Parts: sequence; C-alpha cells; structure tokens
Amino acid sequence: MESLLVTQAINVVYEVLILAVLVLGLAVVMGLLNVLNIAHGEFVMLGAYTAYTVQKAGFPYLAAVPAAAVVCGVIGLLVERFLIRPLRYDPFETLLATWGLGLLLRKLVELVFGRGFRSVDIPIGGSVSIFGEAYPTYRLVLMAIAVVVVVALFVWYARAATGARIRAMVGNPVLAEAVGIRTRQLARNTFVAGTAWAGIAGVMIAPLTPVEPFMGLTLIVNSFFALVVGGMGTVTGLFAGSTIIGGLQSVLSASVSPTTAYLAMLILSILFLWQRPRGLFPRP
Amino acid sequence: MFSSITTSRRSLLRAAGVGALAIGTPILRSAHAAGPMKIGVLIADSGPAALFGPAQRAAAELGAAAINAKGGILDRQVEIVFADAGAPPAEVSKSAVKLMLSDKVEMIFGSHDSAVRQGVENVVKGKIPYVYTPVFEGDDCTDNVYFLGEVPEQELQKTLPKLLEFAKGNTFYLVGDDYVWARTTNEKAKKYIAQIGGSVVAEDYYPFGAPNKFESTVTKIKSAKPAIVLQTLVGGDNVNFNRTFADFNLSDDIVRLSCLLEENTLMGIGKDASKNLYSALGYFADIDLPQNKAFIGELTNKYGDKAPQQCTISKGLYDAFVFAAAVSARSKSLAAKEFAMAAEGLSFDTPSGPMTMKRRHTEKNIFLSRCDGTKFTIVDTFTAVPTQQSCT
Amino acid sequence: MGSFLVRNGLILALLVLVPTFVGEFWAYQLGLYFLYALAAMGVGLTWGQAGILPLGQGMFVALSAYTAAYGLSGIGTSPLAFVVIPAAALGVALFGFLFSTVVFRGHSDRGPSFSLITLALTLAAFQIATTWSSVTGGFNGLRNIPGLPGLDGFLDLYYLIAVVLGLSIAFVDYLLRAPLGALWRAIADNERRLAFLGYDVAALKAVAFAVACWLAGLAGALYAPQQNLVTPDLAGFAFSGDLVIFAAVGGRATVLGPVIGAIVVGVLSAELRDRFPWWEIVIALFFIVVVLRLPGGLMTLFAPLERLRLARGQTPRASRAPDKPRAAAPLSVGFEDVRVRMGDVTILDGLSVKTGDEAVLCLIGPNGAGKTSALNVMTGALPKRGGRILIDGVDVLRPEPAAVARSGVGRKFQTPSVFPKLTIDENLAIALWSGRWRGFDLLRPSLFGWTTPLLDEMRRRFGFLGSGGKAASDLSHGERQILELTMALITEPRLLLLDEPCAGLSHEETAQVIDAIQWARQSLNLRIIIIEHDMELVRRLADRVVVLHQGRFLADGSVEEVQGNPDVRAVYVGGSR
Repeated sequence: MESLLVTQAINVVYEVLILAVLVLGLAVVMGLLNVLNIAHGEFVMLGAYTAYTVQKAGFPYLAAVPAAAVVCGVIGLLVERFLIRPLRYDPFETLLATWGLGLLLRKLVELVFGRGFRSVDIPIGGSVSIFGEAYPTYRLVLMAIAVVVVVALFVWYARAATGARIRAMVGNPVLAEAVGIRTRQLARNTFVAGTAWAGIAGVMIAPLTPVEPFMGLTLIVNSFFALVVGGMGTVTGLFAGSTIIGGLQSVLSASVSPTTAYLAMLILSILFLWQRPRGLFPRP
Repeated sequence: MFSSITTSRRSLLRAAGVGALAIGTPILRSAHAAGPMKIGVLIADSGPAALFGPAQRAAAELGAAAINAKGGILDRQVEIVFADAGAPPAEVSKSAVKLMLSDKVEMIFGSHDSAVRQGVENVVKGKIPYVYTPVFEGDDCTDNVYFLGEVPEQELQKTLPKLLEFAKGNTFYLVGDDYVWARTTNEKAKKYIAQIGGSVVAEDYYPFGAPNKFESTVTKIKSAKPAIVLQTLVGGDNVNFNRTFADFNLSDDIVRLSCLLEENTLMGIGKDASKNLYSALGYFADIDLPQNKAFIGELTNKYGDKAPQQCTISKGLYDAFVFAAAVSARSKSLAAKEFAMAAEGLSFDTPSGPMTMKRRHTEKNIFLSRCDGTKFTIVDTFTAVPTQQSCT
Repeated sequence: MGSFLVRNGLILALLVLVPTFVGEFWAYQLGLYFLYALAAMGVGLTWGQAGILPLGQGMFVALSAYTAAYGLSGIGTSPLAFVVIPAAALGVALFGFLFSTVVFRGHSDRGPSFSLITLALTLAAFQIATTWSSVTGGFNGLRNIPGLPGLDGFLDLYYLIAVVLGLSIAFVDYLLRAPLGALWRAIADNERRLAFLGYDVAALKAVAFAVACWLAGLAGALYAPQQNLVTPDLAGFAFSGDLVIFAAVGGRATVLGPVIGAIVVGVLSAELRDRFPWWEIVIALFFIVVVLRLPGGLMTLFAPLERLRLARGQTPRASRAPDKPRAAAPLSVGFEDVRVRMGDVTILDGLSVKTGDEAVLCLIGPNGAGKTSALNVMTGALPKRGGRILIDGVDVLRPEPAAVARSGVGRKFQTPSVFPKLTIDENLAIALWSGRWRGFDLLRPSLFGWTTPLLDEMRRRFGFLGSGGKAASDLSHGERQILELTMALITEPRLLLLDEPCAGLSHEETAQVIDAIQWARQSLNLRIIIIEHDMELVRRLADRVVVLHQGRFLADGSVEEVQGNPDVRAVYVGGSR
C-alpha cells in the first residue's frame, strides 16, 4: 500500500485553490460591495451549463470561457439594475432578493434543460507524474490557473488605477464621489465582474462535478463560510478562508471521515462568526 | 390533483355528498361503487429525485392502460390520481390522506424514499393496499404494504461472486452516503463478502446532501488498491465519485459496482468515466426480453420522441399495476386479509421477467450489467433471486 | 385591553370554526400549516421586530419534535402526555435563549453573522439528525410516535392546534404592544442608541429569540403527535428557508403576517404544485417583488399604512414613574494617558485630563483633535489601546456603552440619534424606562403612561413633544436634536455628554435649548461636558474650557484664559509648534 502522500497533499492544495476560484466572485461582491449574493452558486451553475452547451455544439472548450462570462455578466447586469441597486446594496435585503433569484434561476434552468445530470467531457485528459505519483492533468491546469488569477488579482487590486478607485469607493463612498469617482458605474461593474467570474468558475469545474440545476446550492455553503472565516474584502482573506475551510475539510476527510470534516467546517465557521464576525483578514 | 384518464371511459361517479368521512369507515368493499377504481400514485415531481418524475408518470400510465385493456381490476377500469412524493414526508402524508379521503383511492402505489414511505404508512394505517416499488433497504414489515423493489440481499447475493470473475482480486472498498439505505446495504454486503472469501479494506461514508468532494477517498482507494469498489452513493454523489475515480485513472485496474446506478445517473457519469463500472439492479431499459421489448414498444408508441428514459425506479410503477391486477384476480377483493392471502406466492410477469411475491417482498430477476459508454450491457442474469426478508 | 380581547377572541373563534366551513380533510391539512405558521410567527417576530433574521429556525422545530417524540413515547397514555408539549417548547426556548445570549454577547457587530450562524447550525443539525440514527432514527426518522391520549381522528388534534395557534397569536400580539415590543423595535431602529440608554441589548435580543424558539418549540412538539413521525428534513435548510419566505410574503412586521404567509403559500403550493410546473417560478417572483416593493408583505393589502403603529385604544393613564436611585454628586471622569488607534491612524495620543469642580466643561479643538473620540472611548464606543479611564475614581478597564450609561452617563450624539420609526412618545418612554423598570414591568402596558416632573417640564418648554403620536422621522432636524436631548435628560444622568447640541438649530431653538440645559443642570446637579465649536455658546455655558489638539491635551482654563493662550491661538490659526 503506497501512502500516496504527495497525491493527498496535492488534493488539499487543489481543494483550497478550487474553493478560492469559486469564492472569488462572491468575495468581490460580498467583500467589496457588502452585497450578500446567495445566488452566487446559481451563476456558477449557469457557467457550467454554458460550458455544456458550448461543448455539445462542437466548439472548443476554451470558447466556453468568454461565453459564460457574457451570459453571467449580462444576467449580473440585469440583477444589479433591478435587484441590487433598488435595494441600495443593503446586505439583508440583497440576501433575500438574491435568494428569490436563486429559486428562479434554478427553476428556469430546470425547465430548459430538465432535471437530469449533464456530463461535460474533460477537455484535457491524462495525468502528469509528480514525485512518482500520477495526478490528473486537468486538475493541475486548473490549479495553475487559480494561482495565476488570484495573484494577478492581488497585484491589480493593489496597483492599478481601477483597483485604487474601488478601494476608495469601498472605504468612503461619499468622498469617492466627491473626487469624481463614478461610484455607481464602478459598483455596477464590480458586481458584474463578480457574476461573470462566477460563470467562468463554473466552466472550470463543469468537467469535474455533476452538472444539474441544483448544483449551485451545494457550492454556496462552503463559499459563504470561506468568506466569513477568511475575512471579506481582502485577497489575503480570500486565501485564508479557502485554506482554512477547504483545507480543513480535505485533510479531515482523508484522515478521519467526510462527515466529521463537514461538521468540523460548520462548527469552525460558527466559532468564527461568533468571535470574529469580520473574519481573519477583513477589509480595514 | 392531476387526474390521468387512461381509457375513454370517464368516471361517472363523483362520490357526491361524502363530506367528512371518518377514516374508520371501510371504503374498500367492492359493493361501494361499480365505477372506475381510483389508484393513488406517488411520484417525484419535485425534490432531488424529480429527474425520475416524467418516467414514473409514463410507466404508471402504461401500467394502468395495460391492465385496463384486460378488464381492469375486479372488473372495474382503473384511474390514476397522481401526487407529488418529492415534498417533505409531512406533506406527502397529507397528500396521501387527501387521496384516501377526497379522491377515495382504493390503493396507493409509491415510488419515493423511505422517509416518505414511513409517513405514508402512518396515515394509511393498513386500510388500503400500499405498494412500494423502488430499490430500498428492506427490513419493513408493515401490514398491507407490498414491496416490489430490489433489496440489498437480492442485489448482492449472486452478483458479488460473479463480479469476482471480472475483478483482479477479492478485496473490497465500500463507499456510501451516510444514511440508512447505504449503511444497511453495506452491513449486508459484508456478510456476502465474507462468504465468498473476500475482505473489506475500508469503508467511507459521506454526509448526505453536503457539498462532497471525493478526491480524498479516491486517493485512499488508489493507495489501498482494492479489487472492487462497492458503492452505495446516490444522486450527485454517485456521479461525482465515479467521475473523480476515472479522472485519477483507476478504472483500468479496479472494478466498481454500484447498488443504485440507473440510466439517468449513468448519463451524468459520462462515457469517459464508466469503464469497468457495473450495476446490479432488477431492471435495465435495454434488457433483451420480449416483455421488455413490448413495454418499451408501448412507451414509444404512446410518447414517440418524448418518451422518458425508463429505469428500475420508474418501471416499478408499471409492475405495481400488473401486480395489483394479478392479486385481485385471485382474491376477488381488496380487503387486507384476502389481498394478503392472494398475494402470497403469486407470480406475475413484468418487463424484467417474472416476479413472485414471497412474504410481501418479491423474488425477481437480477441483472448484472457493465457500463459501455453511457449504455448498459447485461453481463449476467440471475433468476428468481430470493429477498431473504422475514416478514410474515 | 378591551380591543385586545375582542381582536384575539375573534381570531380564536375563527380558527376553531374553520372545520365547519371547510370540512374535515381541509381542517387536517390546515393543521399542518398552522404549525408552520407558529414557527413562522417566531421568525417574523425576531426579524420584523428586532431586526434579527434567523436562517435556521427549522432546527428548533426539529429539536422540539424529537424531544416531544421521546417524551410521548415514554409517557404513553396518561394525561401527563399533554405536559410534554409545553415542556419540550420550554426546553427549546431556554436553549435558544442561552445560545443567542452567548452569540449576541460575543461581538458588537450588527451584521448578518447571527443569521449565518443559525444557517450553519441548521446544516449541522440536519447532518447529525441523518447520521445519528440510534437517537434520531436517521434518515427514515423516528416513527411510531404515539398521539396524544384522548385525541383520535383528524379533527381533535386540529382543535388543539387551532387553540394553541390562537393563544400564541394573542401572546405575540400582547408582547408587541407591551414595552418589550417597543424595545425590540428600538433595536431594529437604532441599536446603538438603545445601548447608550443603558439597556442590555444582547439580553433583549435573546429574549426575542427565546420567544421565537418557544413558538418553534410548540410547532415541533405538536408536529410529533400529528405526524407520528419525525424526519431530519425538519432541521434542513429548505424548511427554514420556507419559514422565512412565509414571514416575508405574509408580512414580517405584523403578528398575523407570517400566519397568513404560511397558510397562503403553504396551501397554494400544495394545491398548485402538481398542476402547474411554473408554480415555483411564481413563488420566486412574488418573493422578489415582496422584497423589492412590498416589505410589508401581503398584510400591506389589508393595512396600507404598514409598520405596526401602536394605536392604542385609550392612552394609558399618566402615572408617576418610580424614582431612579441616583447619587447626589455629579459624575467625575478622568483620562490618564489614553491612547486610541484605528488601523494606522492615531486618534488619541496619550490624552490626560480630569474633571474637577466645574459644572460645565467645554471641549474644544480643531477638527480631528479627538473630541468626539474622547467621548467615544470613555463610553466604550471606541476600543482603547492604552492608558486608563477613571469614572468616579474607578478604573474602568473596558468601558461598555450600556454599563457606562447605567452608571449615570447620558449622551447626546452629534447627529441626532433617536428611534426614527417610533413615535415621540415611544422614544421618550424608552428613555424614561431605563433604570426604572423592575421584574416584569416590561410586560405592563401601563409603563407607557409613566412620566416624571422633569419630563413634564421639558414637554412644557418644547411644545412639539406633545404631539406624541408623530413618528420621530417626521420631525425637523432641530426637533430631533431637542428630542434626543430630552431623552438624555430624563434618564437623570449625573454626567451629560453633549456633542454640538445646537448644531442645525435655529436661533430661537438654540436659546430654548441653552435655557433647558441650564435649568436641567441645576435641578439635577448635573455635570455637563459639551463639545462645541461656536465660541459664543462656549462663552455662555462654560465654567471651564479644555482644548484638545492632535489627540492630546493642549490647554485649559476659563474662556478668556484659553482664548488668550498663544498655543491655542497657533493651533487654530494654523501652523503648529
């Protein structure tokens, strides 16, 4: 019996990074705009269905990325205009409204595609040998993409002009408006970026997860809790949350039992919510 | 409530003026009415099993049509009243009460999970025959309830030894969802595994309904190198696990047997992940039996292109109608005692071959099939597999 | 009282008469939805009144149901079985109280964290219920639960449920109209203000949640004998989510809203779900519309002026409020090298100053000097990083708003901080009750009639306070300033902190306010610390002036002394030393 420690270790990193990718859209929306988009999982689901449709139509898988970004971005645009903005970006109200939105999206997808599972073929097959243990290529590719994206985002947010504007808007909206930052457009674009990114995340995970209308529900739990534990509004927080929630579950799942891992994750989240409601690395 | 009219004869009697009917009143005597016999059919119109809904509905309607063509039950045409069994058990129980009190159904057929079954049993209280059709864990002996579905003993008893022919050893790894059906099946499996000289390397259970990722178990399997992985995962977990398994390149060397893998789930798993994946069930849509050909033929005739994919979960409802007709032909009544006596030992023919009711469970054909892309290829057929349930 | 009895008597009668109108089966069906309505009322109460949204109320229903199942199985056919119902509900209520007290005391962030905690709990509860089969019966549930003795058939249990629902509606109705209800609404309106009036906000929230858990407990305890089966889906998120939808759609700010929501949505779902695959889309859309446009839910259709306005039949008789125990001397405050930082910014940089004999101390200094922050750190609104704060000579290690308020500090904020959605009378009443209520007083509507000579005097001076039924949000800025000042005064503090009390007031109003302040100071033997920019006011009021600069003490003395101080001049004119 090989112990396959390298594989297990990569599994943990994989779970952390995939969670980071999934949470990213929500982190942008929840961390920066204070909008509790509980339909985030549904945007990921829409991205996955877009990938399925694109693949079925015979296009290369990569085409699904812009396709999903467009689909989810457009829907995000409509949602921002008709749900988020009228509710003045209030966290409680948006939580409720997006909950209704989630119900709606699930049902619509069900009516169009049916309830059954759709299978999305893995675009990059095969495996790569790492320290003598084979690991699926596609997952490694995803991990690489995840790292690149998060690092790029970190750098961009810290350096680029738009990043600075967003930080200004988040820190002091009134003042930001006063110095000429168009906060309304900026907020809207941020929200749309969040939903578009969720769609892309859906494309990424579609080959690895059962694609059915209710898949978003299972994703949203971990995403929310990763954010509250890690802290909202910072990239460090995003990483910390993904590491703790994703990593903990993965490690416990392998070493103890999956049920224990799940319960541990929930209990840890409760403790954090209780003692550090803003998370480990919140926006200052 | 949605009513399905299966023949041209419409109901003449709307039981008028039967306002508040206390449940104690016997509503079963055939002297009650000469009109159509209403049968309540509980299917999954919502909830996690809703993907079976259309197929269940079609199978039930076909079943009703089939027996009506032969004269119906007790010389009365049968009429279906559907209700949603995908709702929480409390609400399905309510629907069952409504079926009995308002719609005056004289039998209930159900294709849903065990929690709902318990709720329905609670309100039916044995007053009318209740036929429960899907795969389940067994160990239920409630009065006037008849079980047509596969029990773990049936699924595993003959298929496990056969499976050894395809596997590279006799070590087993058990993976399941953490709830009663999976755990019970695994407990029973361990006995059979011991009988064939095999051993269980490890057992992993996953929380039901949680966002499960299977990389850790797959890696453990890879490291433990069992010959066979016995799965009692359902729904999304079934799909997810199998895809992850194939992704990590384990399908070449390790054989998988799932205890609930039907056509829809296989679609989700996909052709790239189904190598050396086996399923043991009482029915597959592609079985090459004349009864099945006829059944699928009727289905295509009636629904054409839109015919929903049949599987063991839905086909059981067709069986229920055949069963009910056969029993009542013998018992000449729907009263509990007569019905039970007539049912015992009765054989009836279904799309999967003959079934025989023994102690309120059914001996039936069990098919071991291997996945070929997204289709099943029957590898072996075991006839009249006993259920080993001990209900009296 | 009369209208209370009439209203609730009618509801009870209606509930009991339902079977005669709709027949036995419908009554049976409604029984289940009445149980949902009970749980939904709890959600409506905490959410609509206290502003706390529980996303996992189903867990408490389930907990009570499992407990009641064991209780009923254990007790069997003796009439004692009926005790199981309130006992299980009480157990769950206590658990809810303890749990929420711990959570609410854990942090002061008012955000969705409580909601998310209840969500996490309910997910965990569902898993535990599914997995721990030896105790909960696992996925298939706990079965063979006996019914209640003597209740056979569908109708008997219906009557019991209907009566429990009717009584619960009356109970919640009473609570919402009692002082406790006003306090809950105050929490939702302006939690900070309530804390600064000396109320233990966490405890109040916990009481609200406990009541909600009591209702959920009743629902669960009756569910067990009604269904004779308890399954884990009760603890699942779907059911908890449904409860929120019922409360939202029906109207969460009212007593009957959640009840109507549960019945309407529940019944319609059951009926239409089978015929109409688009039904769930309709519900989702309607829910969104409710969130966007109709925060009052369906009840808005019945009562257009939504927001439970306590139109009491008769105004309660005026009565003298009990005296508040109060030390005679004014409160003294001392800062010793106090430091406060927010991130990288130093707000107070070793502030050291003490009150002396002066009655009125004016705190002045350029913007950013730390004047408001000094008040904030003293009252616990800002965390201190170093130094000591002495109140009455005692080192207060970690000041906490309510505790500081109870020790006799009243505070008036820079921007008027009142309870905008409550009426003037309610605003004043809440301030008045602080420190005076004992035992179960908060359940007695007569408290709305309390008054003190001080309050009478303020009402005499400021006429607008007499239109008590007006909402505070309808007042002008100046009137709100005065309302807040009054509220601070009637708590009879020993130290009054005023932050620019005359900002935004007209000339006349300013004169009136100064007059009132001086009168109050004398009659209460009160010390006042005022932050002011208007030197004219400072001259009129101050006995002593303290100048702060860059988070430190700069100078103090009389007005002339300070004005003549070259350091002070330099700071104000520009250019520091």
